[in-house]
Amino acid sequence: MKFVTKILSPAFLSGAREGFHAFLPLSVGLVPWALVMGMAMVSSGFSPLQAMGMNIIVFAGTAQLGTLPLIAADAPVWLIITTALALNLRFVIFSAAIAPGFRGIGTPGRWLAGHVLTDGVFATCLDKLLRVDDPAWRLGYYLAPALWAWILWQVFALTGIYAAGLIPKSWSLEFMATIALITLLVPMAKVRPMLIAALVGGASATLLRNMPLRLGVVVGICAGIAAGFAAEHWEGKRSQP
Amino acid sequence: MNYDASLWLIFILIGLATTLPRASFIVLGNRVVLPSVLQRALRYAPAAVLAAIVVPDVLVVGGTLEVFNPKLAAAIVAVAAASLSRNPWLPFIGGMAALLGIRFLSG
Repeated sequence: MKFVTKILSPAFLSGAREGFHAFLPLSVGLVPWALVMGMAMVSSGFSPLQAMGMNIIVFAGTAQLGTLPLIAADAPVWLIITTALALNLRFVIFSAAIAPGFRGIGTPGRWLAGHVLTDGVFATCLDKLLRVDDPAWRLGYYLAPALWAWILWQVFALTGIYAAGLIPKSWSLEFMATIALITLLVPMAKVRPMLIAALVGGASATLLRNMPLRLGVVVGICAGIAAGFAAEHWEGKRSQP
Repeated sequence: MNYDASLWLIFILIGLATTLPRASFIVLGNRVVLPSVLQRALRYAPAAVLAAIVVPDVLVVGGTLEVFNPKLAAAIVAVAAASLSRNPWLPFIGGMAALLGIRFLSG
């Protein structure tokens, strides 16, 4: 019942409003992704029911797009699952970083929060979740954008499923997802150690892009984190007389 | 191509391979506490992750590194728009205009 009382409280609503407004512009980036996802599932031979089934059960753009060709090629199940796990490894890092933001929130709320954790919602909510005290406000601030992302994902995937073939591929609408990630990255990179973390992470992921199962992304992330942490230490030492 | 009912089992397994990593530390909560050094280091995770996804995406064209390509130009426009303007839609408008404009002009 605690979960329900939190959702009905005014603090939840005020948090929800603020979280929704913070995430709204970014959520535009999900639209082309979801459209592309819907089209890709149809072109892999899924029926509309199967495509929406995958979209609802999995709810993860990269893991869905990454496993589609394997499913279509009738690859062994262990390879499909390993691929999905590797693509989702970054979420373990996200989960650990954002976990303190769910202090004072019960297990059902945490499972729901985990299921709807996505890149954009993570980047939008992390800072305030760690700083604000009221658990009901935090739950609203997180769930509103997360569930909005879920709704957009389902609605536009369904649109993509039925619109497959109508939007010319040459429009490259999927690039809007990249722009969305850029708008998240720019304000972070104004602090120097963050900029270094981004530069090293981006460069290593690019150089290691041919590693199997896209593990280069994971290695790049670890290298970026290490570089940012090292830069912080170095700056701290230098500023001391 | 037709799929049998085992397709749904595959969906459920991929779903578990997605939700379990996402929920891991959120659900475990205080039962597992990361050392504070690791927590401080993890503050750099978002920037490193975003860059690790974006940079290869704008620098690699069809598997090879291409420094001069429309995607990179569009990304630079988006970065400029995001850092110089507070309008949240401008990076999308500017970036897409640059991408499609350059492709159109270069045929």
